[in-house]
Amino acid sequence: MSYLILSIVILLIGILGIILNRSNLIIMLMCVELILLASTILLLFESRGLYTLFGQILAIMILTVGAAESAIGLAIMVNYYRLRGTIAVKALNLLRG
Amino acid sequence: MYILVILIPLLSAVGSGLGGRYLGRRGAGLLASVWVIVSSLLSFVLCYEILINGATVYIELGRWIESDLLITNFGLQFDAVTAVMLIVVTTISGLVHIYSTSYMREDPHLPRFMSYLSLFTFFMLVLVISNNYVQLFIGWEGVGLCSYLLINFWFTRIQANKAAIKAMLINRIGDIGLMLAIILIWKEFGVLDYCSLFSTLSPSSACTWICILLTIGAIGKSAQLGLHTWLPDAMEGPTPVSALIHAATMVTAGVFLIIRSAPLFDHSPTATIIVGLVGSLTAFFAATVGLVQSDIKKVIAYSTCSQLGYMVMACGTYSCISSLYHLLTHAFFKALLFLGAGSIIHALLDEQDLRKMGGIIRGLPLTYILMLIGSLSLAGFPYLSGFYSKDLILELTYNSYCLISIYWLASITAFLTAFYSFRLIYLSFVSKPNLTRISAQHLQEADWNLLGPLLVLGVGSILVGYIAQNMVFAPGVRPLPLVPTIVSLAPVIMSVTGILLVFILRPYIIYYITRPSIYGFLFYAWEFNQIANYYIGSTVWKFGHTISYRTIDGGILEILGPTGIALFLVDRTKELSSLQSGLLFNYALIILVGAAIALKCLIVN
Repeated sequence: MSYLILSIVILLIGILGIILNRSNLIIMLMCVELILLASTILLLFESRGLYTLFGQILAIMILTVGAAESAIGLAIMVNYYRLRGTIAVKALNLLRG
Repeated sequence: MYILVILIPLLSAVGSGLGGRYLGRRGAGLLASVWVIVSSLLSFVLCYEILINGATVYIELGRWIESDLLITNFGLQFDAVTAVMLIVVTTISGLVHIYSTSYMREDPHLPRFMSYLSLFTFFMLVLVISNNYVQLFIGWEGVGLCSYLLINFWFTRIQANKAAIKAMLINRIGDIGLMLAIILIWKEFGVLDYCSLFSTLSPSSACTWICILLTIGAIGKSAQLGLHTWLPDAMEGPTPVSALIHAATMVTAGVFLIIRSAPLFDHSPTATIIVGLVGSLTAFFAATVGLVQSDIKKVIAYSTCSQLGYMVMACGTYSCISSLYHLLTHAFFKALLFLGAGSIIHALLDEQDLRKMGGIIRGLPLTYILMLIGSLSLAGFPYLSGFYSKDLILELTYNSYCLISIYWLASITAFLTAFYSFRLIYLSFVSKPNLTRISAQHLQEADWNLLGPLLVLGVGSILVGYIAQNMVFAPGVRPLPLVPTIVSLAPVIMSVTGILLVFILRPYIIYYITRPSIYGFLFYAWEFNQIANYYIGSTVWKFGHTISYRTIDGGILEILGPTGIALFLVDRTKELSSLQSGLLFNYALIILVGAAIALKCLIVN
C-alpha cells in the first residue's frame, strides 16, 4: 500500500509543480519527469505485486520516452531562450485568445 | 338604365381623373357636370318608376364571396328608400358639380376636384343602392375615403391635412361599430342581404347589440354626439365639398344605415330609445354651439349636425320614413345654405368670418333671397320644405312612447335653430358693414354657373317638402301624430319667436369671446375637442410612447429579440475566448481537471 501512496504523492507533487509554478520552465520540465517517474514506480511495483513482466516493459518504455521528451523539451527551451531571452512561464502567453 | 345611373359617375370620375391632363379645366368641368346631370336625370326617371309606379327592382350582378358559411353577391336593390336617396345624391351632386366649375375656376387642380366629386357620387350610390351589408360597407368606406381626399384637396394647408386625418380617424371608430354589427348579423342570422335578413328576422337577444353597433356606425358617420368633432373641422375643405359631402349626402349615410336597418331596430326597443336620445342630445348640443360660432361655415356645419340629430331622433320614434323625409328636404335646404355661404365667401374674396361681414345685402340681393329661403326652410317656417318634415318629427317625438325629454330637447332645438340661422342672416347681410374696403368695392354676384344651382336648390327648398310628402311615404303608411293643438303649433311658434328674437336682440348679439363664461363654453363646442384631446388623445399618445413603443417594442421585444440575443452572444464568446489565456499552467490545469472528470466517469461506469 505504501508504494501506492508514495507514487501518488510523487505524482501530486509533479502536478502541483506544473500548475503552481509561475517562474521557470525548467522546473516545469522536471515536474513532468516527476510525473513520469511516479508512473514508472507505480508500474514497477504493480508488476512485482502481480508477478507480470508487462509493467517492467512499460517502465523501460516510459524511461525511454521520458529521456526523449526531456531532450526535445530542452531543445525547445533553448531555442525559445535564444528568441525571447527568458524562459519564465509567465512570459509565455503571447498566443492568448 | 338602372346600372347606368351608378356607372356614369364612375366613368366621369375616371374620365376627368385620368384624362384631366388632356381635357383641361374647362373640359373636365363640363364632362363631369354633364355626366352627373345625366345620371341625376336618370335617377328622376327611376324615381318615377319606383315611387309613383311602386316598382321595386332587384338586380343580381354577380357572385362575390362564396364559402360554405358566407355568401355575398354583388347586387342592386331599388326600393322607396333607395329612390329617395338617389334623388338626394344625384341631384345635389349634379348641382354641386356645376357650382364647382364656377367656384373653383381659379384652381389649377379642377380636374382632380371634379374626379373626386364624381368618385364620391359613385361610392354614395354604391352605398344606397347595394342590396347587402357588405356592399354597403364598400360604399361606406368609399365615401369616407372621398371625404378624406376632398377635405385634403388643398393639401398644402396644414389645417386641411389635420382636418382630413381627423375626419378619417373618427369615422374609423364608427366603421368598427358597423363592421362588428355586420359580423354579428352574419353570426346571428347567417345572411347579409337585406331581403333574406328582413324576411327571416326573428326576435333575438343579439338584436339589441346589433342595433347598438349599427348606431355606433351611424354616430361616427353622421357626426352624432361624441364622434361629431370631425364635422366642423371638415369645413377646411372647399365649400362645394362641404355642401355635397358634409351637409347633404355623406353625413346622411349614418341615418340611411339606420333607416335601412329599421326592421332590426323594430326588434330592439332599447336600441331605439338610445337612438332617440343620441339624436336629440346631438340636435340640442349642436344648436347651442351654432348660436355663437363666428365662422359662417361652422355655423352651418353645426346646424347640419343638429339636423342630423333630428333625423336620428326620428328613427328613435319608430318612424324611419319620416327621418328619410327630413333627410330629403334637409339635403335641399342645407346644400342651398352651404352653396349660398360659398357665394358670400366667393364675393368677399375668401372671407369666412361673420364678424367681418355685414351689409352685403346691397351687393348680393339674389344670394340674400336664396339664403333667406334656406334659413326659413331650416327654421321650419310654414309651407317651406323644412316645415313639413320637421313639424312631423316634433309631433312624432311628442307622440312616441319613449321619453318625453326627447320632445323637449327637440322643441328647444327648433327655437335655437331659428335663432342661429337668422343670426347668420343678420350678421352677414343686414347688420352694419364690417367689410374691408377692397371687398366692399368688389362686392357683386357671381356668374350663372354659381347662381344657377342656387336657384334650383332654392326652388327645391320651397317645393320639395310639399311635393315629396306623398311620395316618400308609401300609401297609408304616413304616420299621423295625434297631438294637442298647442303641440302642433309649438314648432312654428318656437321658430317665429327665434326669428323675432334675433331682431329684438340685435344690439346684443355679441360675438366677442370671453373665455371663462358660458359664451366661451359654447364657442369651444362644449369643450369636446379639448376633453377628447386631453383625456383620450394625449393618454393614448403617452400609452403608445411609453408602453407600446418604449416598454414593449423597444424594451421587452428588443431584449428578447435581435439586440438582446446579439449582445448575449458577444458577451459569451468574449468570456469563452478569455478562457484561452496563453499561460501553460492554466492549460495543464484544464487538462488535468478534464482527465480527472473523464476518469471519474470511467470509474462510475
